Amino acid sequence: MARYPIPFILSAFAAMVMTGCDRCADPVCDTPDCNPAATPFELDIPPFFPPMDIPQDNPLTEEGIALGRLLFWEKELSADGSMSCGSCHLPEAGFADPNPYSTGITGAQGVRNAMALINIGWAPSYFWDGRAVTLEEQILEPVSHPDEMALPWPDAVDRLQATENDVNAITNYPDLFEVAFTQRSISPELVTKAIAQFLRTMVSANSKFDQWRRGEVSLTDEEFAGYEMFLREGGDPETTPGGQFGADCFHCHGEAGLQFSDYLFRNNGLDSSFAADAGHASVSGNPLDSGRFKTPTLRNIALTGPYMHDGRFNTLEEVIDHYNSGGVPSTTVDPFMKYTTGGLALSTVQKDQLLAFLHTLTDTSFVSSPQFLDPH
Amino acid sequence: MASCGIFRSEDLEPIPGTVRFETALDWDGQAYAVGNIATDEFGHPLRLDNLQMYLAPIEFRSTDGTWTSSDDVFLLDYSENDKYLTLPLPAGTYDAMRFGMGIPSEINTDIDPASYPNDHPLSVLGSAGMFWTWSSGYIFVKYEGKFALESGQQLIEPFSYHCGTDASYRMVTLELASPLEIQRHEVTNARLNLDASMALASETDTINIEVDPVTHNAGGDSLGGRMMDLLVNAWSIEIL
Repeated sequence: MARYPIPFILSAFAAMVMTGCDRCADPVCDTPDCNPAATPFELDIPPFFPPMDIPQDNPLTEEGIALGRLLFWEKELSADGSMSCGSCHLPEAGFADPNPYSTGITGAQGVRNAMALINIGWAPSYFWDGRAVTLEEQILEPVSHPDEMALPWPDAVDRLQATENDVNAITNYPDLFEVAFTQRSISPELVTKAIAQFLRTMVSANSKFDQWRRGEVSLTDEEFAGYEMFLREGGDPETTPGGQFGADCFHCHGEAGLQFSDYLFRNNGLDSSFAADAGHASVSGNPLDSGRFKTPTLRNIALTGPYMHDGRFNTLEEVIDHYNSGGVPSTTVDPFMKYTTGGLALSTVQKDQLLAFLHTLTDTSFVSSPQFLDPH
Repeated sequence: MASCGIFRSEDLEPIPGTVRFETALDWDGQAYAVGNIATDEFGHPLRLDNLQMYLAPIEFRSTDGTWTSSDDVFLLDYSENDKYLTLPLPAGTYDAMRFGMGIPSEINTDIDPASYPNDHPLSVLGSAGMFWTWSSGYIFVKYEGKFALESGQQLIEPFSYHCGTDASYRMVTLELASPLEIQRHEVTNARLNLDASMALASETDTINIEVDPVTHNAGGDSLGGRMMDLLVNAWSIEIL
């Protein structure tokens, strides 16, 4: 049976209660590094998505985005010239790292799985622990981190600046910075601005689920059953108050705005103690945040394994089994985890249905889009 | 605290004053903070980890009996450091305040959160963790934490009350012991107290977290409505 979506009713009343807010205003080109001659880029906001807040001091331009793409894939931003941002954010892995921990140029490994770069222009914070509150701030870290690209920013800037006088250089970066930002003198801030512009254009909105929401395709019975479970409360109602034999995904990976993440920090019952990694508590200082990590998006989830902040699960089946178990008790575990009542109680058939639904979130046009691939 | 919106134009004086509420939290009459340990009516040690609620609209009654209404939607988050709720109010004297606990039915369902700007409390980001689905609407009150079955045990049992749906929307009216005087350009301070223990117990009803630890009443079960009824009497106001 074909399954068709019920579209949102976009009531005119919404417009009546909305009011203007300074932070929501369209970016304007009135900062010293904004080139009014650059070509403004109008980002297409997909149906059912919320607006994206573009920083006032970093409006999107064609030139800035193109420069950001070059820099994202620029291996000269690592100390030995072997790694770019894209080395740990592989397109075929949903712009994540297929390894649990990324290996830097020295052979040192990180301590958390590299997060997928999908629709991150909508995220209100970055990294698993939320320690960066802007995309520009996030981008500053990997280049100079000794266990990642290990190139001090002054050296990185010097390398880019030197392309101006290097007859063998394929890219003359000062020229490109001048066009994008009016300045030939390159700074870490301008590098991060350019990369941030590029990352904000990395929008995934053409999965089978998106096409279904737009009324273009139908879901199979198995996929639709999985979607219904996604939206139902978890647990056996005989043992779990309010249980609906669902998978209980929607509370944290809700479809509002089709983000499939609430971007909050949660402890999903992986561990009973947090000595190895305190998660968001290391940022907030609040013990109640111990073991809490940012909810990742489920978009392209079939591609972005391994899973969890430490990449401990290799497959989606393992992830589903974890939630089905209810997780491990602790003082900060999320109340949505059914650790006191025996877990979700999903049958094998139900788990397969849920898996089928999760695969509908794969957007192959996103991961193969030429506009995001290495231009060098 | 998050809010967006202004007073309706017909209510707006050219130069309003401001009322600034400190949103204080108590437990059984004593000052309380999210994350602290308290004890319920049945002797369970418990800890509130998350207490959030929507208030909309907020209205004030002038001494002539007319009500001034706000189109604002406020999301109170008692785990945040910003504990103030500020709103403009036409100059005058007011003797009562009332507010809706939750989201009025006209804007609770069938409006896509994505249609709001991101800093609006009903937007996708602004309502993170407080939105069910487009058909069931927003979670009006989220009251979550951990408890122990007996004193001395680790607090590891979860309680999670998510109250919502149009049937659970409640109005709270508070008569002011002393009038609220609003002067043009001036800020008047007040304190809005919520006693979180009264969400679980009153003289007429008591919720035992050991027996009823969970409601996610998007389907409209009675427990969510009971908590909303209990919360109606959990408020007090003080003009500073």
